[in-house]
Amino acid sequence: MADDLVGELKKLIIETLKLEEITPEDIEDDGHLFGDGLGLDSIDALELVVALEKGYGVVIPDSEVGERVFRSVITLAQFVREKSTTK
Amino acid sequence: MKYDETEIKVRFNEVDSWGIVWHGHYIAWFEVGRMALLKKFHLLPQDFTQMGYIAPVVDLKCFFKEPARMEEEILIRTSVLKPTKAALTFRFQILRKKDGKLLASGEETQVLLTLDGRMLYIIPQDLRERLQPLFNYLEEPDSAA
Repeated sequence: MADDLVGELKKLIIETLKLEEITPEDIEDDGHLFGDGLGLDSIDALELVVALEKGYGVVIPDSEVGERVFRSVITLAQFVREKSTTK
Repeated sequence: MKYDETEIKVRFNEVDSWGIVWHGHYIAWFEVGRMALLKKFHLLPQDFTQMGYIAPVVDLKCFFKEPARMEEEILIRTSVLKPTKAALTFRFQILRKKDGKLLASGEETQVLLTLDGRMLYIIPQDLRERLQPLFNYLEEPDSAA
């Protein structure tokens, strides 16, 4: 179940940000999403926030929370599990 | 595209050694249009700061079609997209007034920060309420200033 969510979130990241050259296997579970990891930026964060709210009902209000949540797909999955208002 | 319109005239200092407006000045013209529109709704930078926010530009595009020349009268048309995320995107068109020729077009995106540098991922309710009249204005059928 936990692996399903991590896999789902990787697909969500790829689809939301239209990362055409990236597959879910390319994204390390505990690799950094921003900066020197996957290389996402602050505008990407805004897009992901919208997609996560739509898909899982979770709200990430600002970069202070985002810094912790978006550290890796694993931290993102943990946050979604804790806060999700959807099934 | 619904827009607000401002008029300027090309100045001597805006023209380069080839006799056409230097490309960097178009960005300043975008700002003229943006400020003219935002002033109508008390959304100038100082108004944002008073609410506790700043809105830095994070993305900027300009497409150059035809050159502008000294003394030409220029129309700056400014619009803003209704946000789907916590960012404001303005669109611009620069036209020659004499013949309506499109000289340049562009787009600029701003994100929202608190005064202590925290980036907002959700547009706060107080700012949403301040922005709504701006979006309503641009939805009016006759939106030219």
